[in-house]
Amino acid sequence: MAHSARQSQVHSPRLDSKVPSGLLQQKWDIYKNQVSLVSPANKRSHHILVVGSGLAGASAAATLAGLGYQVTCFCIQDSPRRAHSIAAQGGINAAKNYPNDGDTVWRLFYDTIKGGDYRSREANVYRLAEVSNNIIDQAVAQGVPFAREYGGVLSNRSFGGAQVSRTFYARGQTGQQLLLGAYQALSHQIAGGRVKMLPRREMVDLVVANDRACGLIARNLLTGELERYAGDAVLLCTGGYGNAYYLSTNAKNSNVTAAWRCHKRGAFFANPCYTQIHPTCIPVSGDYQSKLTLMSESLRNDGRVWVPNDPHDERAPEMIPEDARDYYLERRYPSFGNLVPRDVASRASKKECDEGRGVGETRLAVYLDFAHSIERLGEHTIRERYGNLFEMYQRITGDNPYQTPMRIYPAVHYTMGGLWVDYELQSTVPGLFVLGEANFSDHGANRLGASALMQGLADGYFVIPYTLGAYLAGHNQSDQVSETHDSFAAVEKEASDRIDRILHNDGDKSPTVFHRELGRLLWDHVGMSRHREGLESSLQAIETLEDEFWERICVPGSADRYNKNLEFAGRVADFLELGSLMARDALRREESCGGHFREEYQTPEGEAARDDEAYADVAAWEYQGRDPILHLEQLTFESVHPSKRSYK
Amino acid sequence: MKLMSALMSPVGRKVLTGVTGIGLVAFVIAHMIGNLTYLSPNEHAYNTYAYKLISLGWIFYTIEILLALCFILHAIVGISIQIRRRKARPDGYKKYKSAGSPSYQGYSARSMIFTGIILLGFLVLHLISFKYGPGQAEGYTVTLPSGEEVRDLRRLMTEKFQEPLYAFGYPIIMLLLGMHMRHGVWSALQSLGMMSRRLSPLVYSLAAVLGILVAVGFLFVPLYIYFW
Amino acid sequence: MVINLRVWRQEGPDSSGRLVDYTVNQASEHMSFLELLDVLNEQLLQSGDDPVEFDSDCREGICGSCGLMVAGIAHGPQKRTAVCQLHMRSFKDGDTITVEPFRARAFPIIRDLVVDRSAFDRIIAAHGYVSVTTGSAPDANAIPISKDLADDAMDYAACIGCGACVAACPNGSASLFTAAKISHLGLLPQGRVEASQRVMAMVDQMDVEGFGDCSNYAECEAVCPKGISIEGIARMRRSYMKGVLSE
Repeated sequence: MAHSARQSQVHSPRLDSKVPSGLLQQKWDIYKNQVSLVSPANKRSHHILVVGSGLAGASAAATLAGLGYQVTCFCIQDSPRRAHSIAAQGGINAAKNYPNDGDTVWRLFYDTIKGGDYRSREANVYRLAEVSNNIIDQAVAQGVPFAREYGGVLSNRSFGGAQVSRTFYARGQTGQQLLLGAYQALSHQIAGGRVKMLPRREMVDLVVANDRACGLIARNLLTGELERYAGDAVLLCTGGYGNAYYLSTNAKNSNVTAAWRCHKRGAFFANPCYTQIHPTCIPVSGDYQSKLTLMSESLRNDGRVWVPNDPHDERAPEMIPEDARDYYLERRYPSFGNLVPRDVASRASKKECDEGRGVGETRLAVYLDFAHSIERLGEHTIRERYGNLFEMYQRITGDNPYQTPMRIYPAVHYTMGGLWVDYELQSTVPGLFVLGEANFSDHGANRLGASALMQGLADGYFVIPYTLGAYLAGHNQSDQVSETHDSFAAVEKEASDRIDRILHNDGDKSPTVFHRELGRLLWDHVGMSRHREGLESSLQAIETLEDEFWERICVPGSADRYNKNLEFAGRVADFLELGSLMARDALRREESCGGHFREEYQTPEGEAARDDEAYADVAAWEYQGRDPILHLEQLTFESVHPSKRSYK
Repeated sequence: MKLMSALMSPVGRKVLTGVTGIGLVAFVIAHMIGNLTYLSPNEHAYNTYAYKLISLGWIFYTIEILLALCFILHAIVGISIQIRRRKARPDGYKKYKSAGSPSYQGYSARSMIFTGIILLGFLVLHLISFKYGPGQAEGYTVTLPSGEEVRDLRRLMTEKFQEPLYAFGYPIIMLLLGMHMRHGVWSALQSLGMMSRRLSPLVYSLAAVLGILVAVGFLFVPLYIYFW
Repeated sequence: MVINLRVWRQEGPDSSGRLVDYTVNQASEHMSFLELLDVLNEQLLQSGDDPVEFDSDCREGICGSCGLMVAGIAHGPQKRTAVCQLHMRSFKDGDTITVEPFRARAFPIIRDLVVDRSAFDRIIAAHGYVSVTTGSAPDANAIPISKDLADDAMDYAACIGCGACVAACPNGSASLFTAAKISHLGLLPQGRVEASQRVMAMVDQMDVEGFGDCSNYAECEAVCPKGISIEGIARMRRSYMKGVLSE
């Protein structure tokens, strides 16, 4: 079961990254200059299925429809405007260098690849940095009300992992505003009849025929009907799998099902062990808790993180004098201080709490204190910058952060892993493209703050319109099958059998019970820090839990109507399978990098010890039940030299 | 045609209600001030005022027609809004309450349709009693100091308000008018797009003051006649 | 704490519904209202009953999926709070709370507390956007926008599209929702170009969907989780009249 021996360090021939040759700075231009184009008349004859309507999905659907393609877009919520991108708070990075503080495309690229602990592909990350500026232009033209200076120009703030101010923001609701911009662009295309929007649909399987993606089966969540959709290409924009942990900052409906079903149809899953634990979330308060709420990283610009020196200090935080406090981030990382990247900040909080200095009822929290900033800048400025976040904190906890420090603790927030894609964002299934958080491509082992919005929109607005054309231009239309093809019938039958099995199981446990248990296993053993024994035992436990799921799952009601528990049960089943893969991947990676911290591999000071010799690679797993096959993509660094990632 | 369909749109309907409402408010204020001339020590003041109005000739009749139009449109749109309201929520809530400030959903706002319908009914009665009531033919004649023989409205008014039904019914209606104006004045300005976050609370309070002033202004004459 | 609930149960769009009484004995003041419903549903599931269906997603007050009439008020008694962030500390031990779906003809009930708010999407599709295709944008700083204007636009852009404004309005009007988008885009130079077409199309669509008229109750502003001001409605009317007159 366990992968005790290191895998052979061979680049798998099935993982051709298709990175164009040439200078890093010219690769994207070279690609665009050489890519085949689809003529306007032919675009109309191509039908593209876009699954998901978040930043990646909505921007892709709107852009492709604007180019003339026929698009059908699916979303799980009742409206495309509700995709979870909406909850992103802090901001979006771009190398505009408006503040004139030394930013360049190269620096954004460098910060991102360094922030990702040198576990991402140079060419993809450079392209991301390159198109970042276009995103800001596009968003402003759509009417996104970014924060402005008094002179009328756009305002920037700094974010973790960078020493320049390159983050654009709209109060604490940047994700909402960018998503609404994309949603409005999508609505424009819907109104023009170029996008057919299907809300309350869940993709339950991918249909592959003639060795390529040719459609999907979706479940209508209102009627329960399984519907068939054929298309020339499928774009998966379904977000990350953070909800595997049950408690995360993801929305209740965020899930891995669409991606996982594609994985089972041949798409390799890359780096599933790379998960981001965000350092500043509102701590858990009880067993009933259904989700965790993030407090934007931007708060660390003005908030100082500390714990009492004495674990037994029971005084109220405002009563604890300066010399009895440990501003441990400032102490340990003097040059970045409170603005160290997320993985570093999270592990530091965990360390303090593990050593008994945690605060609050559960002792699983640290203070994030604004008293100094309020003194320095005045309450008005702080209110202006973070007012809505402070209100949210107060609503949830009942405490007033203007008067007493916030209590925060890390929580699962984002997943860097995802379906493997090449430079064109195409998965190992031809015709299946993966965009945004659902793919693995740009953030390596750790994502920097304000980069998720950038990546989702880069993929949808500026990358896929080119790379999809390349696929379609080389696409033989006669291979295309319609909804009446046998492959649709077969996949639909499998989907309906799976639903029947869940519904007709004579069990006694709800999907939530299994989900919570899976979440506990993953959080304890595949969470902020991992070690061999824990991973091995959790792998076993997850597989046992999965067996128990199929014996004891109980879902009331029927399949032919709105049935939330039925939806959840299907998703939990997939999370259970994914959970094993996460543990397996974490076990295989015998090094510490970014969000993946193996206790066995750390420096004497307790920092992550990366092993570039053995693990400068992407682990892409091919589905094969409980014995997945590992494929490796070697990462080569031509332009940057992986250095020790230090924020000291 | 474009203008007609624009006036029938949700915004157009509100603009119509607002414009006609403001016209009616202006009328009511003018009417109230006119009524107060009854209290003047000069016993001919009221009849002189009434005569001067009539002597305006075509101007007077144009204003009358405009007012009639205002009344009719205001009532029709108001009632149609009420009908749409039922259509827009055929199944009501089992439990419903206002969330409170900044909501203006108080008694006056909630009762607009009722106060409105009562005022409409009152208007008809009022026109029958006074405008189309007994005139010079029935002997209600008076000679003004300037020599003209005119309708003696002062006498008609004095007689009517000596009847308890008029003396007390009329003030009650005027209180309802005050309530209608309390929400209506602000609402009309909001409907015409003139209100802002800062202005609204101020104007809403001023509307209340105006409502009270008008109601009180109209109360004086009947109560004076009845008790003195 | 113990909480008594009177929950609207309705099988489907065409069936008739009724209020059903339940008691949750294991409530905690730190729970959100939706977590209370989660606990109720686990309870129902254990006893073999159908869980109460309701929509929710982000559970941090931004996606706009959730929306319930709690104790007669859209999103419940706490101001500027979506029901997912309404915590049980707003209630007392032993309280009886009535829970109903958002009601409006334009929001037909799907099941229990779930309603169809796609009318909002159609209002946005009517012209709630700036017609700019990808790639055609000038530099983001090409047009300066004063901070005050950007802030005002942001106040309106904050709308989460939850539908509480419609639910709370005695007339079932969607004016606040529509006005928020019109004001957000109309305040910015990028959106002003199409301001007249936008306001006409969106107001007409609002009517087509069967929403009621606005009687300036301002109840919408009082229940709006984002506190969007009815000044937007005044602005929408100005913009509409300007559009009509300039045609």
